[in-house]
Amino acid sequence: MSTTTAGGGPVTTEAEAAAAEQLRSAVARQFGRSLHIRTLDTGSCAACEQEIRMLAAPHYDLHRLGLFFTPAPRHADLLLVTGPMLRAFAAAARKTYEAMPGPKLVVATGACALGGVYQPDAFSYGSADQVLPVDVWIPGCPPSPLALLHGLLVAVGRLADKVSGLSFVAGASS
Amino acid sequence: MTAVRPHTSRRLPSVMAGAGRAGDPVAVTQLAETDLEAVTAELARHPGGRLADLFAADTDPVILRAVWALDLDQRYLIIETPVSGSRYPALSEIAPAAFAEECEIYEQFGIRPAGDKPLNRVATPPQADIELPRLGRAPAEPPADVHAPHVVGGHAFEFPFGPVRQVAVESLYYGLVTSGEELVDLYLFTWHKHRGVEWRAQGQTPQQALFHIERAEGLSAIGNGWAFAAAAEAALHIEPGAAAMSGRAAALELERLYNHAAAIAALCQACGLAVGRAAAEIALERFLRLNAVVFGHRYLFNVLAIGGIRTAPDLAALRAGLPAAYGELRRAADALLATNSFLDRLEATGIVTTEEAGRLGLVGLVARAAGVAADTRADHPSGPYSGLRPAVATQAAGDALARLRVMLAEAAESVRLLETLIGTGALGHGAGQPEESGTPRPGPAGRSGLGWAESPRGESLAWVQLDQSGRISRARLRPAAVRNWRGFDDACRSQNVFTDVPIIEASFWLTVAGTAR
Amino acid sequence: MPLWFVRGLRRGVVTTRYPDRSEMSARDLPTPPAFRPGALTGEIADGLVAICPSRALTREGGTLIFDVGACTACGRCGEYAPGAVTASGEFELAAARRSGLVKRIGLGAEVTR
Ligand code: SF4
Repeated sequence: MSTTTAGGGPVTTEAEAAAAEQLRSAVARQFGRSLHIRTLDTGSCAACEQEIRMLAAPHYDLHRLGLFFTPAPRHADLLLVTGPMLRAFAAAARKTYEAMPGPKLVVATGACALGGVYQPDAFSYGSADQVLPVDVWIPGCPPSPLALLHGLLVAVGRLADKVSGLSFVAGASS
Repeated sequence: MTAVRPHTSRRLPSVMAGAGRAGDPVAVTQLAETDLEAVTAELARHPGGRLADLFAADTDPVILRAVWALDLDQRYLIIETPVSGSRYPALSEIAPAAFAEECEIYEQFGIRPAGDKPLNRVATPPQADIELPRLGRAPAEPPADVHAPHVVGGHAFEFPFGPVRQVAVESLYYGLVTSGEELVDLYLFTWHKHRGVEWRAQGQTPQQALFHIERAEGLSAIGNGWAFAAAAEAALHIEPGAAAMSGRAAALELERLYNHAAAIAALCQACGLAVGRAAAEIALERFLRLNAVVFGHRYLFNVLAIGGIRTAPDLAALRAGLPAAYGELRRAADALLATNSFLDRLEATGIVTTEEAGRLGLVGLVARAAGVAADTRADHPSGPYSGLRPAVATQAAGDALARLRVMLAEAAESVRLLETLIGTGALGHGAGQPEESGTPRPGPAGRSGLGWAESPRGESLAWVQLDQSGRISRARLRPAAVRNWRGFDDACRSQNVFTDVPIIEASFWLTVAGTAR
Repeated sequence: MPLWFVRGLRRGVVTTRYPDRSEMSARDLPTPPAFRPGALTGEIADGLVAICPSRALTREGGTLIFDVGACTACGRCGEYAPGAVTASGEFELAAARRSGLVKRIGLGAEVTR
């Protein structure tokens, strides 16, 4: 796993994509059908948190997929990161990440964490991957519980990344 | 416009003489520094008068603006006072609710109230290597770090909790002072979530700024967004059409419904009542899906526009979906109100007295559950609310149970208001001509306006000032959360045990984002 | 708690079958835009870049670069140029590579500047 940088550029580079892919298959092997999720708010508007809470609600019930929330860093396999990574919060974010045992996954969640909404400026780094080594990115403002479920299943290698193959050209077949 | 609570025979405070025309919902007056204390004292004594906000603008000299809500007179009064030196009269000595704003103004503009009371850190982080932009000048001395007002000694000890807490809750840093079981004191740090929303708005057009205002506190996108849009519209002399205002009201009531359902789910979770939580979450999900079909977004983002609304509601979907969603909430509520172990946990937990609610300037359901019948929909009606005459639900006990009961009564009232809006055809086509392009509108520099809306957490206030080109020179956003966290410390103190804190937090249903915006 | 138990049985199953089955409620979610290159002129592209509040659109010569990750699905671009922009309808947007979210859309109409 790469080291974190203090805003010098995205921590996860293209060169590391293969390593991340390996990690995901390692995670899929290691965690089988049970994975523990911790959350980290780095400056969200609270809507992403509400959608994440809905994952445990009866309509979505993430437990049926072997995914569980845990408040304990020592038990967490995956960190769901929301918010634009405020500078005042970056130290706490690094500590939270470091407190998790490896192997571990980081999932940037929501447009703020992915570089939308806020510019990199004096208040914020502008995206989660400026500080943490992100493995999976879930767009949305906020991402719906369905989008979150999809993203978590991509993170553990049980669903494929679909969006990388889409063109966003209207009428195109892919 | 029919007054909901006419008080025509009442005497207005003397400062109102000549401040705007009678019947205007907002009056603005200038006041010299030397008169500020006497007038503040008079307004604080005025029945229904409360200091709703205090903020400054980086002009030369700095202008201090006190926003008074005169709830029984259906008016807001803005008092503008130029501050020539580095000190101004300490308004918090007269209206204690102003203290947090005095701290904020010190941090952002470098001016402080008279006296030597230490001013707390609000939005600037203590880390030496992080220097955030300010709205004005830096203070001469750094703000004080919050310390427990109670001496930590004897049996009490102090420990920090946070900022990363339970799963899927916002980051929040508590200082807990406890004797082991009993909670002696609690104080909050929120600087780590401050995103400079007001700073960001400067130089933007109101339409551009609305994007970040909606996302300042996502669970009050409509409440805060409406307040901000109304402030900009007042500055620009734009009046949205009746259908657009009814659309806003429909969105605001839907925002209240999903928030109250979410708060009830959180209350059940805090009490360990999994089955109640599940029932409330089924209702919550139904409301979120209703939002998505009616307005295109589960959290009602992107609905508002300056001058109107961007998304007209799907009336048929609202008519069809509302009874089922509310039916789920009703079923969950009926079962909860018959579950004595649950009610026992809420009773006498997190008490806010009427006196505290008044002294700290609390708003919304926290104030109403403490016997303060304040609701901007009734006291300062705008759009369809003057005709709708919303009933204001209150409770006397001020505890978590009283807050639950207020939420349930308000949910019922929101449904009634929505049904009325549907029934009267107020939500028909012609949402208005919103200022879509975002092109700034030139006009006199210094044009300003005040806006408000009753968000699910209570009164949301915004003030916008525009420059000559039509860009924002100062925007003020005061969500209800800014006010009600002040009551949270008090509610947590003394009579409560440590394990009550999550219950109290759920019953207040605040956000960190709303205060650290 | 017999009251809750009986209610629980009566509620039936609300849980989604996703991902094994498609989920109807996904239809109502806002989705990022998709673009019609044939209708995209340089002028329209510049207008889209200017109107996007979330830094999701930039222009590089004859290419409109769309960052799905930064997009909030706010719909402003579609309102601005309804002929050139439509909703993609995609909600399964998670990417295992950041670059997988960055789309390059050629401006099909004549580039005006
Ligand atoms: S939907 Fe909104 S955020 Fe996304 S590209 Fe269009 S304008 Fe930008």
